[in-house]
Amino acid sequence: MDLLRDLLDKQVVDRKQVKIGKVDGLVAELRPDKPPRIVAIELGAITLARRLGARPGRWMAWLAARLGGERHAEPHRIAWKKVRDIDVDIKVDIDVRRTAIFDWQDWLRDHVIGRIPGA
Amino acid sequence: MKKLVEISLGIVTSVGGFLEVGSMATAAQAGATFGFRLIWAILLGTICIIFLVEMAGRFASVSGHTIVDAIRERFGFNAFLWPLFATLLVNFMVMSAEIGGVAIAAEFATGIGFQWWALPVAFLTWLLLWKGTFGFIEKGVAILGLVTLCFVVAAVMLKPDWKAVAAGAIPSLPEHDGANYWFMAVSILGASISPYLFTFYSSGAIEDHWNKTYLGTNRAIAGLGMTFGGTISVGVLIVAALVLGAHGINQVNDYHQLPLLLIPTFGFWGFVLFIASLAIACFGAALEIGLQQAYLVAQGFGWTWGEDLKPREDPAFCGIYTLSLLLAAIPITLGLDPLKLTIFSMAVTAASLPLTVVPFLFLLNDERYVGEHRNGMISNAAVIFIIALGFVLAVVTIPLQIFGGS
Repeated sequence: MDLLRDLLDKQVVDRKQVKIGKVDGLVAELRPDKPPRIVAIELGAITLARRLGARPGRWMAWLAARLGGERHAEPHRIAWKKVRDIDVDIKVDIDVRRTAIFDWQDWLRDHVIGRIPGA
Repeated sequence: MKKLVEISLGIVTSVGGFLEVGSMATAAQAGATFGFRLIWAILLGTICIIFLVEMAGRFASVSGHTIVDAIRERFGFNAFLWPLFATLLVNFMVMSAEIGGVAIAAEFATGIGFQWWALPVAFLTWLLLWKGTFGFIEKGVAILGLVTLCFVVAAVMLKPDWKAVAAGAIPSLPEHDGANYWFMAVSILGASISPYLFTFYSSGAIEDHWNKTYLGTNRAIAGLGMTFGGTISVGVLIVAALVLGAHGINQVNDYHQLPLLLIPTFGFWGFVLFIASLAIACFGAALEIGLQQAYLVAQGFGWTWGEDLKPREDPAFCGIYTLSLLLAAIPITLGLDPLKLTIFSMAVTAASLPLTVVPFLFLLNDERYVGEHRNGMISNAAVIFIIALGFVLAVVTIPLQIFGGS
């Protein structure tokens, strides 16, 4: 498998088929005398900002921590062992509601969208 | 039978997408100033958009990806940011122009100045997106959009010199106002080859659950639907050339000149038909672009999207179209001239084409996405031609804007 081609930037769906984001980054573990191994995928604004450069990454991490608190100071990680299937989408065996990934969407729903009649 | 119904609906829908304030305004201006001589630009634009729409539909049906989704996946996040921001900006201007188009129609109908209508129009658009489903919006707008056929009827009833019309289908050099002629040609191409059209179409294919069995349907809809839309644009151009010319108007620089178009043919009802056509075509386009802005961001970042979901289920998606519509209403509310904005945004659209069309060359030839259904020689030649055209347009738009824009 070609990691950048077949993994990075693909759609991620959780076990209930909810689209939870893209594979924004990959986390590899360096092992002595063995090839590196992928241990997790990363999602979220901090990872994306880091791809643009070190400085945008630091700014985004600061901003995320300011807005979302300690829970959001680091990128969201999903362990590699949770990955179930790699096809059109990447299916992971987690429930997005039990993670912090959609905290901001929940906030948007509870404070803005949900308050508009008919939502 | 079911396929036949689907195809006819699809054709009608693509007319709704094709004909909007840009194609109406540019065709009317071109007709008034240069007679039938710019018909070739509409034909060229229509052929290009047929190819792109067919490819977008084929890509989505076979790969299960929308174009936006695949651009991010294939080229990576950093490269994706360029088409993302360019398209968001162009869509913002075009959406503002569409809102302006509906607002102008409302001004004609009521006599109340257009800037007062921008926010109500944006609100009505938003309300339909908020409450409606994808099918409802797609089909409703499509069927109402048939009213624009009145331009084709009028064009035929005015008995144009068909030989001159046919001669206009072949590009020729202008005798006067060279810069203005080319600026018009660029604006017409921008109005016909709208990126929102094919990116929207690929999202629509996913929303309607297309798969490989839809390839024939897709081809028929792309070919016939866009031809149908192009025919109506040519109708507008012919009517403008005959009617406005006869009234001594050879420069359309104000929307108030336009209701005249249908009056010689249909009398008072011509006035009503014009208002209805303008309002419906622009309203339909505003709906589609509103959705398109939301698709663009949600698909680019991998969030839940879908017009058939309730706003609670995809708050970010709904938040984007809500914000886009609100922002797009602002320039019109502040009194920016909708006609100037329209012509300008069509030229900018043309200039942004390379960013959205270059990915087609890669995506439609990538076997991992489209397998055996990848582009043949002709489709690839068409894409390369459109990219080349796009680059030329991108380079000439700004100088032409300065020297040829009215």
